[in-house]
Order: sequence, then C-alpha cells, then structure tokens
Amino acid sequence: MTAVAPAQAARPNGWYGMLMLIASEATIFGALIATYAYLRFNTVAWPPRGVATPSATAPVILALVLLLTAAPVFLAVRAAAAGRRGSAIGLLAGAFVVQAVYLAIQAHLYADQLSTLHADASAYASIYYTLLAVHHAHVGVGLLLELWIMGRLATGWTPYRRTALSAIALYWYFVAVAGLAVTATTLYPAW
Amino acid sequence: MAIIEGADARGVERVERLDRIWRERPGLTGWLTTTDHKRIGLMYLVTSLLFFAAGGVEALIMRTQLATAGERVVGPERYDQLMTMHGVTMIFFFVIPLSTGAFGNYLIPLMIGARDMAFPRLNALSFWLFLGSGILFYTGLAIGQAPDAGWFNYVPLASRQYSPGLGIDFYALGLILNGASSTVAAANFLVTIAKLRAPGMSLNRMPLFCYANLAASFSLLFALPVLTVDLMFLELSRKFGLHFFDPGRGGQPLLWQDLFWFFGHPEVYIIVLPAFGIATSIIPTFTRRRMAAFPLVALAELLVAFIGFGVWVHHMFTTGLPTIALVFFAAASLIIVIPSGIQIYAWCMTMVTGSPEFRTPLLFIVGFILFFVFGGLSGITLAAVPFDQQVTDTYYVVAHFHYVIWGAAVFPLLGGLYYWFPKVTGRMYHERMGQISFWLVFAGTNVTFFPMHISGLLGMPRRVFTYPGNLGWGPENFVSTLGAFLLTGGLVLIAVNLVYSRLRGEPAGPNPFGAPTLEWTTTSPPPPYNFAVIPEVTSPYPGWDDPTREADTRRLERGELVLEHGHETPATTPVDGRLDEIVSMPSDSPWPITLAAVTTIGFAMVLSNHLIGAAIMAALAAAALCAWHAHEPEAG
Repeated sequence: MTAVAPAQAARPNGWYGMLMLIASEATIFGALIATYAYLRFNTVAWPPRGVATPSATAPVILALVLLLTAAPVFLAVRAAAAGRRGSAIGLLAGAFVVQAVYLAIQAHLYADQLSTLHADASAYASIYYTLLAVHHAHVGVGLLLELWIMGRLATGWTPYRRTALSAIALYWYFVAVAGLAVTATTLYPAW
Repeated sequence: MAIIEGADARGVERVERLDRIWRERPGLTGWLTTTDHKRIGLMYLVTSLLFFAAGGVEALIMRTQLATAGERVVGPERYDQLMTMHGVTMIFFFVIPLSTGAFGNYLIPLMIGARDMAFPRLNALSFWLFLGSGILFYTGLAIGQAPDAGWFNYVPLASRQYSPGLGIDFYALGLILNGASSTVAAANFLVTIAKLRAPGMSLNRMPLFCYANLAASFSLLFALPVLTVDLMFLELSRKFGLHFFDPGRGGQPLLWQDLFWFFGHPEVYIIVLPAFGIATSIIPTFTRRRMAAFPLVALAELLVAFIGFGVWVHHMFTTGLPTIALVFFAAASLIIVIPSGIQIYAWCMTMVTGSPEFRTPLLFIVGFILFFVFGGLSGITLAAVPFDQQVTDTYYVVAHFHYVIWGAAVFPLLGGLYYWFPKVTGRMYHERMGQISFWLVFAGTNVTFFPMHISGLLGMPRRVFTYPGNLGWGPENFVSTLGAFLLTGGLVLIAVNLVYSRLRGEPAGPNPFGAPTLEWTTTSPPPPYNFAVIPEVTSPYPGWDDPTREADTRRLERGELVLEHGHETPATTPVDGRLDEIVSMPSDSPWPITLAAVTTIGFAMVLSNHLIGAAIMAALAAAALCAWHAHEPEAG
C-alpha cells in the first residue's frame, strides 16, 4: 500500500506550492510596475528635469544573460529526472556562477547610479530604485536556494530534494521573466 | 465510531497502528511544535477570539464615549487610536484568522477526506507568524504609540510629517507580517484543496464550503501582495524619505488609496466568502435537503471573488476622479449583486423546499441572510455615485459596512461555532441557551447599527470623538450604545454556553445532527489521523449516500487506503480526483515557531531602527529554514 505510484499524472505538491508563491510574487511585481505607470502618467516631466535618461545597453544585455541562465537550470531538472546527480549539480553550479556575476554587476551599477541620483530625490527615483531593489532581492534569494539545493544534492537523492529542485527551477524561470519586465519598465524613458 | 466498532480484528489492529504512528508529543511542547491542522486550527480559534475580545472592548469604549453629547470618557487622541485598533483588529486579527485560520484549517482536510494540509509545517508557520504580528501590533498600544490614522491609514495623515510617532510603523510592519501569514495560509489551502481530496472527490463532488474557501484563498493570494507593496512604500517614505505619495516631488497621495482599496475591496469578499461556505454547510443539514442549484452556487462563489477585484474605486467616489471611471466602477459594483443574489435565492429555496428545523446554527444563518440582504440593499444605494457623494464619511457608511461585515460575515461564524462545537469537543452545546443567545445578538445588532443609518442621514460624520448636543443626534447615539451592550450580553452568553458545554455538555457522538459531509463520518473529536480509512466519496453529501459507512468498514478490514505504515495521505489529480500518489507528511517540528519568532523580532528591529540587528535576524531565519528542511519526510 505504501508504494509510490509509478507514473504520476499531476505535479508534486511542492511544485504547486511554488506556483502559488510565484503568483503572489508576480502580483508584487505587477503592483510595482503599475505604480511606475501611475506615477509616470500623473506627471509631465519623466524623468524629472535634470535627471539623465537611464542607459539601455548594460541592463538589456544583463537581462538577456539572466534569461539564458534558465537553460542550465532546466537541463539540471532533466538531468535529475534521468538520475544523473553529478551533471545536475554541475549545471546548477554553472548557472549559479553566471547569476552571481549578474547580481554583482547589477549591484555595482545600482550603487553607481545612487551616487548621482538619490532615491529620495523624486517619485521617479523612488520607484526606479525600489523596483530594481525588489528584483535584485529576488535574484539573491534564488542564489541562496541554488546554494542550498546543491548542498543537499551533494549528499544524495531523495524524492523531497527532487521536488525541491523542480520548485527552485520554476522560481528561476519566474525571476528571469520578471527581470525582463523590470528592465523594460525601468528603461521606459529610453524607449 | 461506527466504522471502527463494526470492523473485525484486522481492522482494529490497523487502527492501533495508526494511533501509534500519528501520536504527537504530549503537553506544551506538543502544542508548540505541532503540525496537526486541528490543533493549529484550535490555536487560531483561541487567539482570534482573544483579539475579538480586545476589538470588542475598544468598540464598547467608543460607544460609551458617544452615548451622549460632549462626553469625556476618552480624549480625541485616544479615540483615534481606539477606532484604528478596533478596525484593524476586527479585520486582520479576528475575522480572517477565525474564518480561514480556524474554520478553514480545522475543517478543510476533514471535509475533503485528507489527513492533514498539503504543507503541515508551513501551516504551523502561518499561525505563529499571525501570533507574532498580533503581538507586534498590540505592542504599539501597550507602549502608548498605537496607530491613529484609521484602518485605511490615508496619506498624507499617515506620513512622517503628520504622524511622527511609531504608531503608523506598528501598523505598517504589523500588517506586512500579518499579510505574509495569510499569504502562506492561502497558498496552503489552494494546494490542499487542489491535491489532497480523497480519491473519488472530483470537483463536482467537493463541498461548497471548500469552494468558498478556495475563492477566498484565491482572493487573498492576489490581493494581499498589493497591500504589502503599499505598506512597503509607506515605510520607505517614513523611514528613508522616499517619495511615492508626495505631490511636491512628483508623487500621488491617491496612489495609497488606489493600492489600498485594490486590496481592500477583495478583502470584503475574503471576509464574507467563508461565511457563505458555512451557510452552505449548515442549511442542508438542518433542512434535510441538498443545496439547491449546487453548480450555480459554486460558480457564484468563485465569481464573487473574481469580480471583487474590479470594484475598488467605489471607495473613492469623492476623490475627484473622472466621471467615466466612476461610471465603470459603479456598474461593476452593481454587477457583483448578481452572484450574491444567486446564492441568496439558493439558500432561501433550499430552506423553502426542505423541512427546516430551526436549531441555533440555522437561526444564525437566517439572521445572516437577513443582514446580508439589508446590508446589500444599503450597498446598492452607495454604489449610486450621487447618493454616495452625499453620505460619504457619515455614519450611514458605518451602518452599511457593519451590517455586512458584522451581520453577514460574523453571524455564520457564530453559527459555525455552535454547529461544529460537538465535532471539536465531542459534547453538545446547550440548545435553549444557544437560541436565547441568538435572539440577544440579533436584537443587539439591529439596535446598535440600525440607528446609525439615521444619524448618518442626519449628517453625523464618521470618526468624530464627540458631538455637540444641539444637532439632534443624541437619541440615535444613545440607542446605539444601549444596543452595543445588549449585543455584548448575547456574546457573553455564547461564551458561557460553550465553556459550560465543554465541561458539562451531553456526549455528542460522531454525528449528532445527521450531517452529510465527511467530517461527521469520523469520531468527535477526530483522531490525529482524521480517518481510520480514507473515506469513499460518492457525492458532495457522502454521509447521506451511506449513513452507516458500511463500505468504509469493509475497506478498513481489507486495508484499502488505510496507509498504516507511515505519516501518509493520498494525493489526487486536481480536477478528477483520481488517486495519483501516496505522499509522506512531515510530523512535528520546532522550526516553524523558531522561524516565526526570529522573523517577528527582525520586524521589531526594523521598527526601532536597529537595521544591523534585523540583518542578523534575517540570517538566523535562513539558518532556521535550512534546519527545517534538513528533516525530510521519508518516502513510504
């Protein structure tokens, strides 16, 4: 009676749980982006006079790089399904390095911009920095999750860890797509 | 219990094995580390009722202050604090935790034939976070820095410039924490309802109570993050001087209201949907008839949650928005009457075509329907923009939303307390005392809140701490205050009844009302594993299809879905409810309470500007999460 059914028709509960978390996190991003539009269309000068239009090159490249890191994460899930623990860890480690470099560059850009435009200068600056900070925080949490699952996988396989990996992968797909939306929004003046 | 008593030696042996596997730690440690949805539900119940008492005392002080003109029971500052604490307490610390946390937690797994929630440890976390947020929020009152800008907390009043103390910070941080608790609870309910229904419970066989909880959880999941963002903007403005609401720097004060009510109106349905669910449980039992128009009621419950996201601007008809926006939202506010109307007709038709027996729980539901219709009618008047612009910020609005939130949302909760009392305690409540308590509460509600319509139409504004004697508002206010004490008397009688019955009530047996849903097929109170055998589901009313549960007894003897080898429950496919896998459930864990404690302390440190301490708490929270997941439920 305790045997696990061989082929499951539905995803595991943990995957559904992550889907719920993503639904609420996506709502947070939605509210932030809606606020950006709300503030923008209730004012004349956007960005305010004297504030430079954000440069598009670096953020666009970075957003695309983050999107590409979804590929090794996806392959790690596939490797896990095939029981190849070593390659799953290797793929995750590869993704982790690129994502960590991404976050470091973003943090550097963020600090750089803060030195010329303070977050408390205007509503524009406030929503700009808040939106970016929330996105970066999500990348940071994703990195911690990856670190944790790599550590767990290093000691062996369990169904619990397999579910956790699929949930963490789902989280990363979401963060990568949210990154596109955040980049598109914050670069709005440069369109 | 019939199922076990009728079973042969093999069945009894299986039950004994289940008893051993599911036994929890004894004493206080057991409660602090429990992951049993029933114990968590009971902790929610007790905690939310304590907050209810606090919110009630706040209301009584306000009513005493307003009893006659020019009273000086409390001053204006204290009155503003009481008003704010009352609103926030009743909504965030009483109704939602009671309806979803207590009723939902205790009943949903029982109603769908599961052994626990989908994420038992997350369930414990949501309770402890709720408790932490309540303690944090009330700390403000204890140190004399309670929030005082109303439960809607409008800027610029709530900005640092006009509210320099810590009161608003207690509000904002307390509610972010409370929102986190409700969000994880909602996610847990959604997955539980989607995945843990007993094999055979396809969506069309799911009890309407679960549909209502599903709709409320859906609303919570999408509405609360918007409040969280709004509160985050407020705190960033107050603590770091950012500008979201300040028109001098390109901000918009109305942004607060838009985001707040985008959450705030779905919130009304979050409050009232579980009440619908309770009504659809109690009515069939006491009318001996299945709910009329079952699929329509299920759809209406979901539709209410959905349309609820499109009506928020009707809280803002006087903020100078363009006419086109007002017309759109007035229309949406009228459309939502349709799914509400469907349900009212279905409840009434079920009673008219059944053979109703007016015992205490059903009386509360009848009261609920009357209040819901009445509050709905005054709601229609408020959806009309010109009338709303006349009565905004008067007691007419206070009267309306108390009829809806108190009369319509809380009455079923009170009825539900009586209805499931025998299941939870194994003892019957006192019927006659119960009926008297209903009439006291029913009369008290009308005497308290009906006169407010009149004082509002006479022009009495909301939120004033007193009024001069020559305006003619005296009689209405005096009657309201008398009503408030009458109402309190009725509530005290309910408490007396339940406490007395807990100690001295007649033994109830598994199903004293002959009710049809699965929670009544197990013992009262249910064992930690809920069901000796995962029950067979043949319709939304399985208890009436097979009152003796003969089939379940035979299945127990055969060992079919008894799962007596581990902490397990079956998972099924989300739509058809076909058996998919057997999942291992985690047992008791010290980490949810630890994580909640660390998080709450971290929030308190942000509040008191100890940001380094808060960062340390965040690191500890991450460590607690690692420890949490170090213990994995073992597969079969």
